[in-house]
Amino acid sequence: MASDRGVLGVFAYVDDLLNGLRRLKERNFEIRTVFSPLRLRDIQEILGTKPSIVRLITLIGGILGGTCLVGLAVYAHLSFKLITGGKPILPAVPWVIVLFEGTVLLAAIFSVIAWIIKGGLPRVRYQSGQSAGYDPRFSGDRFGILVSCTDGERDQIIKILQEAGAEEVRDVAG
Amino acid sequence: MENLKYGDVDREILRPLTRPGRVYWLWVFLFFLGMLLGLSAWTYQILTGMGSAGYHPSVMWVTYIVNFVFWIGIAHSGTLISAILYLFRAKWRTAISRASEAMTIFAVIIASTFVLVHLGRTWIFYWTIPYPNQRTLWVDFQSPLIFDFLAVSTYFTVSLIFWYTGLVPDLAVVRDRARGIRRKIYGFFSLGWTGTHRQWHHYGSSYLLLAALATPLVVSVHSVVSWDFALSIIPGYHSTIFPPYFVAGAILSGLAMVSTLLIPLRKIFRYENIITIRTLERIAQTTILMSLIVGYAYIIEFFIGWYSGNTVEKQTFLFRAFGHYDVMFWVMCFCNAIAPLFFFVKKIRTTPITLFIIAILINIGMWTERYVIIVGSMAQDFIPYQWGFHRPNWVEISILIGSFCLFLFLFFLFAKFLPSISIAEVKEEVGHPMRHKGGRDGE
Repeated sequence: MASDRGVLGVFAYVDDLLNGLRRLKERNFEIRTVFSPLRLRDIQEILGTKPSIVRLITLIGGILGGTCLVGLAVYAHLSFKLITGGKPILPAVPWVIVLFEGTVLLAAIFSVIAWIIKGGLPRVRYQSGQSAGYDPRFSGDRFGILVSCTDGERDQIIKILQEAGAEEVRDVAG
Repeated sequence: MENLKYGDVDREILRPLTRPGRVYWLWVFLFFLGMLLGLSAWTYQILTGMGSAGYHPSVMWVTYIVNFVFWIGIAHSGTLISAILYLFRAKWRTAISRASEAMTIFAVIIASTFVLVHLGRTWIFYWTIPYPNQRTLWVDFQSPLIFDFLAVSTYFTVSLIFWYTGLVPDLAVVRDRARGIRRKIYGFFSLGWTGTHRQWHHYGSSYLLLAALATPLVVSVHSVVSWDFALSIIPGYHSTIFPPYFVAGAILSGLAMVSTLLIPLRKIFRYENIITIRTLERIAQTTILMSLIVGYAYIIEFFIGWYSGNTVEKQTFLFRAFGHYDVMFWVMCFCNAIAPLFFFVKKIRTTPITLFIIAILINIGMWTERYVIIVGSMAQDFIPYQWGFHRPNWVEISILIGSFCLFLFLFFLFAKFLPSISIAEVKEEVGHPMRHKGGRDGE
């Protein structure tokens, strides 16, 4: 059962952290989040995270960007027919450049917006790093596992975290 | 980075962010004075008209276009190092990618400034933007100038996004170690990053995609800039070799500027453990490759001129090598195609001072190259009646000095107030802290 209460384990070593994660996962405890100062792909594997939707959103941005900019160029050329050197009003070759720039531009913008929103950012409340369970050491050299728990599960989780090698285990509210 | 331990990364990289000394502020002040010089010259030009910039038909705009192309070129290696080398998993980029990306952004800002500077009526600069005026006249989307606007603005936006995305986790590191108002400022820009697995997951996907999107931009931007020239019919410009020639030249100049900035940065901020001699050697090796491509292009240009059978084309290239600008041409050949070949000697490419000197020579050579190409062809066009020569006057030189000072001013501020090396990536590079040695990620 999900709970607002949680237990935080602070780890100094990555192998201890992953070990703890595996054990918690095996026993089906609800891992609320894992804090890390760097990207560890193994965490995603253990937690079974699905491929990020950011990829799809970036693709949509690219398609939209390319279409819109070519659309603007077509509209502009039809609105003001500047015929030079016998060239067609709607030339195909220059549109490739317009299409490319529009695609890359909006794909990049969509991509950054997507990761920010999907990452739960921006968090005005947490801009000073005050997040539930967050410890400033997590941006430095420590790793953390925050596990949701009920009163009955608390002792078991603490035991698992300590056995895994957590150098500090504490209760977290909220 | 062999001598660097995981626990020391934050302290080593964040050390320069402490209270700066007097020498630092003195340099910043000098660069500020240089900026004022450039700004004053520009103001004088706006007040007195474009004639004060030494315009002399048929040579128009001259150094402003040269500067524009030069700065766009400088902007190239940033994305090359951060995006392309990221996709190729070249680990030596880690220590230098952040500073190179910053360099890219500052260089594009300065290049864009020259678009404004070369306009007679700067206050109506927005006419260059594709939108209809009051008579519903639209800009021509077939024009290379519009390609240029789209390419440069896209390049700037994507480079800025890529740079900022990489900075977010590092800003959180600074936030957690700062106090007072600094904590609030870094906190605001770190967006409340806490390094959760969810954040890293989406961040990682986006960063990879941004690298993939930025990679073709490196090739496209200077190709588009080269079309500003190649799509015209002026002899010496109208050539299909221009896009690869310009891209290679841009990367060469960008790598040289990276060396020019990072070698002093490494010394001043004592980054020797992070920006190692091995990293500098890799830059030198890449510089050799680019120099060989540029040297080949110089030769092939002459071959094309001769093989075309076109008298005007032949005359243009003879004029380049033996005409009014011959000294600049040979300086260009030496600095860009010969000097970098000294990097074949291991001792030279692994000694910071020789690396720095050759990097400076390449910077000079690349500016000269743009001058020789752009001015040389305009000076002797088809009609002898129109021939005219140009020498930069005090207004142009002052604005050029101002642009360099602005670049260094911005870079100095960046190095002091932001982590100039990616903390998260260096941590990955030095290896995770493991209780049981031999395994990776707990395996």
